[in-house]
Amino acid sequence: MKPIDVAVATAALVAGAAVSVAVFTSDSADHAVRTGVLTLVIGLSWVGAGLVALHRRPENRTGLIMVATGFIWFVAQLGYADNHLLNTFGTATELLFILGFAYLLLSFPDGRLHSRFERVLVAIGFLVCVVLQLTWMLFDGDPENLIAVTDSPDAEAAIENVQRAIGSVVSISTAVVVVRRWRRASAPLRRAAEPVLWAGAASFVALAVSAVNDIVGQPLGDIEWLWWVVFATVPFAFLAGLLRVQMARGAVAQLVLELGRAPEPGGVRDALARALGDPELRLAYWVPERNGFVDAAGRPVELSADATVVARSGRRIAALEHDPALSEQPELLASVGAAAALALENERLNAELRARLEDLRASRARIVEAAELERRRVERNLHDGAQQRLVSLAMSLGLLERKLETDPEAAKPILRDAREDLATALQELRELSQGIHPSLLTERGLEAALGELPLRTPVPLELEFSIGERLPVQVEAAAYYVVSEALANVTKYAQATAVRVRVDRVDGNALVEIADDGVGGADSSRGSGLSGLADRVEALGGRLALVSPVGRGTVVRAEIPCG
Amino acid sequence: MRVVLADDAVILREGLARLLVEAGFDVVGQAADADELLEQIEARSPDVAIVDIRMPPTHTDEGLQAAAEIRAGHPSVGILVLSQYVRPSYALELLSHGTEGVGYLLKDRVSDLEELASSVRRVGEGGSVLDPSVVAQLVERPRSGDDPLEDLTEREREVLSLMAEGRSNKAIGERLFITEHTVEKHVKSILGKLRLPESPDDHRRVLAVLTYLSA
Repeated sequence: MKPIDVAVATAALVAGAAVSVAVFTSDSADHAVRTGVLTLVIGLSWVGAGLVALHRRPENRTGLIMVATGFIWFVAQLGYADNHLLNTFGTATELLFILGFAYLLLSFPDGRLHSRFERVLVAIGFLVCVVLQLTWMLFDGDPENLIAVTDSPDAEAAIENVQRAIGSVVSISTAVVVVRRWRRASAPLRRAAEPVLWAGAASFVALAVSAVNDIVGQPLGDIEWLWWVVFATVPFAFLAGLLRVQMARGAVAQLVLELGRAPEPGGVRDALARALGDPELRLAYWVPERNGFVDAAGRPVELSADATVVARSGRRIAALEHDPALSEQPELLASVGAAAALALENERLNAELRARLEDLRASRARIVEAAELERRRVERNLHDGAQQRLVSLAMSLGLLERKLETDPEAAKPILRDAREDLATALQELRELSQGIHPSLLTERGLEAALGELPLRTPVPLELEFSIGERLPVQVEAAAYYVVSEALANVTKYAQATAVRVRVDRVDGNALVEIADDGVGGADSSRGSGLSGLADRVEALGGRLALVSPVGRGTVVRAEIPCG
Repeated sequence: MRVVLADDAVILREGLARLLVEAGFDVVGQAADADELLEQIEARSPDVAIVDIRMPPTHTDEGLQAAAEIRAGHPSVGILVLSQYVRPSYALELLSHGTEGVGYLLKDRVSDLEELASSVRRVGEGGSVLDPSVVAQLVERPRSGDDPLEDLTEREREVLSLMAEGRSNKAIGERLFITEHTVEKHVKSILGKLRLPESPDDHRRVLAVLTYLSA
């Protein structure tokens, strides 16, 4: 226990003892002993339960409100004191504890009011318990009342009835708000809040019934004692709520045992879901490479607002996406997270592996798709190009054969058409085969193949080639396609006035860099050209980087291991 | 003989039209896709429609689909489908609904004007035409188990192939420089070896042979 807790508890004991003595010795109390004992029990239950709550949940204002309500209760009981000053003070504050109780209930479980309506309820409660109470005292001619202005029993009764009428409406509203909240609450919250909310709602219904009975002149009399008993038990109801959280802590111990038995795949989630009492619990795992979370299958996920990140030695491991109500139990989440951290780290490694496999699978699918698209393009080119020309040529020859017999003079233009068809077919075939694989690359290597690019690039191109020997075939091909695709992009999009191509050898890697002075803003996720290149380079164990700030040119850089 | 042409490549359409006019056909309409073709057939009632298999919009087998529609709507119009590729499955699909007035030829055949003209004429007159390369693929296809085709003589195989191409006995005789009577003898022997029924009807004969070859 902290010194502040000891101080508060001592203060409560002293205040309770003092007030009880005041009640015992009071001339005005009907049942001095009973009232005195109840005074002490109620006050100490509230302060005590509040202290426990504060201890368990220092960040939650609920405990504070309970402690305050306990002390306000003691002050209210001064209304029994014979001393006029104390009596006046007590009478003035005699209803304030009800406001504390209402505030506690409305703000349960997080210690904050949730809606405008709830704030209005508390404000009206303040009006009834403080403003109207003080107004009433102005007309109350009791000798103990030091602030009486006049003695007017009629005014007194009228004000009292207004207090009761408004008070009963506020009480019923409070009960309704609380019951509705309970009905809408998710399972874990219901479980934790059930005793408090039901006891609280019942108390306020009883309060309203009592007030209405007073208005119609049929006070409930001794039955009201029942209410005080209920009021005394409310803090214990709250303690019961706390105990349930305690039981959840027992679940943490159970969780540690279960995780110790090396759970099946998915078993960690199930064990966590049981420990937290949240069957909908979802897990996400941190993948540093992606700077994001993935699910167990390695697919990327976006975290919802109600997610608690589990870290271990300062590194993120996983996130628990849980019921919003569990945010009210941060210490439970923390202990569950700590207990499961090692198991989660294992699952995280699995998820990370799956994420990589997922990447690899996607990249392979893209490569296959790209190859398929390329084949279709080639087929289409052949069908619509050279093949068509050759069929046309065949027709011309057929016609020519006929004309040579019947009309030799008409044969000449047909022969010319035939020759043109043949020339076109040859040219189209040449361009197509060059596109499939540049022959120069095979015959003379990368430097020679790149050497022709300035002739075919409309932007002035400076080539700096610093590798003396031939590279492995697939490295040369990848490097060539990186350069030609990048140059195609420069021509199409960059609006550049110059482009520089550098090929060098750095740390056993072939470095290929294409830099232009164009508009920049290129995005590798748009357009398949660059992502296809990245797949090709990564398939060789290399990396492709794109730097393209808007307005400041584009640099494409590939590093490919040379085997 | 009235002919309409359908091919999305203008160069081929025009070239083919020129050839057919030269060979004495009356080219009454040209179409760039299947819809246009059907309109032309509706409007011009040709004897033969020559259709490219691959046409817009999908450039796959529009010509084949158009052929099926023409068969259903205009059974009297002969259909000669031209293809860039040798596809026995397409050819068999085309001929499976009856071989009357149907043909399937490779585009390459346009180089032989005489042969092309005779094919168009045959289809126009209700005969059938199957490209020799398709027939060759069917005949040379490896078969499992006991293959009666292996019992055929070299000459009989030639006759069988020409039968499958849709030629009459007379045409087969001219092709092989033998008399029609000799052809008849070969046909009888082939049908016997393959255990196919003899039939005086050319169409049934073609169908029986194709069914046998593609089985």
